[in-house]
Amino acid sequence: MKPERPYFLDLAAIRLPIGGMVSILHRASGAALSLAIPCLLYTLMLSLRSPEDFQRVADWFGGLLGWVLSTLTIWALLHHFLAGLRHLGFDLGWGEGREIARVTAWASLLAALVVAALIALWRFP
Amino acid sequence: MRRVGGARRGLDMWLAQRAGAIYMALFLPLFLLLALAAPSLDYAGWRALFLPLGMKVATLLFFAALLAHAWIGLREIFIDYLHCARCVMLRLSLYFAVAALYLACLVWAADILWSVR
Repeated sequence: MKPERPYFLDLAAIRLPIGGMVSILHRASGAALSLAIPCLLYTLMLSLRSPEDFQRVADWFGGLLGWVLSTLTIWALLHHFLAGLRHLGFDLGWGEGREIARVTAWASLLAALVVAALIALWRFP
Repeated sequence: MRRVGGARRGLDMWLAQRAGAIYMALFLPLFLLLALAAPSLDYAGWRALFLPLGMKVATLLFFAALLAHAWIGLREIFIDYLHCARCVMLRLSLYFAVAALYLACLVWAADILWSVR
């Protein structure tokens, strides 16, 4: 059933165009966020359970490990959100031209990085 | 013969994932605005945010959309990278394991939200 076809999967040699880069980061950030859901629920549970647990959560977010992990999560969420809006646009036939698609790819990649960096600086412990 | 891997269910899944995405794209900015507009974000203020029934329901819907969206996304990743003939059992086990985990997460989310009284 399975056709034999040539594979080229040398990741060191493949140069993705910007759209491909945004797309694979959309997938990677989505996978990471999927795994983070139970952690998010655990954090929500603690933050609502008692004033002491709320303080523990706040202290953890204020610490270095919490800052690093929450910064990565915020970037993943922003990238996934913006690249997702771009892909929703494609579903509706918006922005499919080569030039405009490159512009929106760069825009979503950079906007997510810049906003995540600004939030990280603002929350620096 | 219909394949056990779920042939022809792709379009429904694709549509459900988009519906969930749109709900989340509306909910998250609104939630952020509500949280930032709250008089204070200490423990009492944070709890007060989840006190109204409408907020509980909207947030539970958010988690339902999130979990369905994530399950469909992970399913897509499993399909893309685990597509050898002998991988079917592994792939199905992963689908069902993630589905069980996420259903548990949905019940957990309801419990967390309704514990705020």
